[in-house]
Amino acid sequence: MGLAALLAATLGIGLTLRWQQNRPRRDVVHEVVEPARLGAERLGERATLLQFSTELCARCPGVHRTLASVAEGQEGVLHLDVDLTHRPDIAKHFHVLQTPTTLILDGDGAVQTRFGGVPSRDVLELELARVTGEPVHA
Amino acid sequence: MPETARRGIDPRGPRFAAAITSVLLLVTVFLSLTGISTSKGTLTAVPRGFVVDPDGWAVQAASVAQRVFDPGFLALAVVALLFLWGVASPRTAPWGVLYRRLVAPRLAPPTELEDPRPPRFAQGVGLFVSVVGLVLHLVGVPWALPIAAAAAFVAAFLNAVFGLCLGCQLYLLLQRIGLVGRTAAA
Repeated sequence: MGLAALLAATLGIGLTLRWQQNRPRRDVVHEVVEPARLGAERLGERATLLQFSTELCARCPGVHRTLASVAEGQEGVLHLDVDLTHRPDIAKHFHVLQTPTTLILDGDGAVQTRFGGVPSRDVLELELARVTGEPVHA
Repeated sequence: MPETARRGIDPRGPRFAAAITSVLLLVTVFLSLTGISTSKGTLTAVPRGFVVDPDGWAVQAASVAQRVFDPGFLALAVVALLFLWGVASPRTAPWGVLYRRLVAPRLAPPTELEDPRPPRFAQGVGLFVSVVGLVLHLVGVPWALPIAAAAAFVAAFLNAVFGLCLGCQLYLLLQRIGLVGRTAAA
């Protein structure tokens, strides 16, 4: 009885977390990101996929590969992966409490969308198309 | 083998290990719920008889030996030792070896390799949670065993079934409250 409740609660947590990972959050502060602060030279001309990782994050390398290949397929879209392991200041500034966290910045470098966790490629591409104002082909 | 060690590990290995760990932890939760950790009613020997207290916690009245030989305690101690093995020497940890010897040869080669540090950190989080449960039980705190085992179970099960790593996701939270990592000179 207790065990069944424990199993059900755990399944519920898992399903909720997975559902949330694929939910783009657009009610974010649309601040303009300074690339120099993140150790980058520039941002993407049309959009930037800004990923936050740590060394101890099992899912970050997978998200890195997904974002890199999404950015590669589109002109003017740049992928930046910022390691927060030794940069709690950046983590604090962007209120990053979990990794991976991915922000989509528009052509002006303003934050438009936020994903916490591991979003699927389809959801990412759809959201990127919305930010860049491209018609969706998929 | 050394070549693989440098480039990374098959990410399915830690998930396989987490699946076995979560089964062990579920058994531990069951054993600790049926043992002295959560039961009430004590029998204390006094001169010329016994005093029965139906509302006293059994674990508080139990001797240290009785606490140690509670099946739930022994099961959680075994799981804690396995976590310790996973932290101290991930390459020789039993479930990892079982995966590489028996499971991996039957699967397609991994499409991508992963950093071995995150799963090792997660084993450390599991070790911490189980040791806290074991110590609290030893000093006679009721419910310490099933709660610690259930917390570790949730983390292991989410890792095995959904590929979520709670310890990794919460690394920044732990860093924020100053439990892990230190700021590099800025």
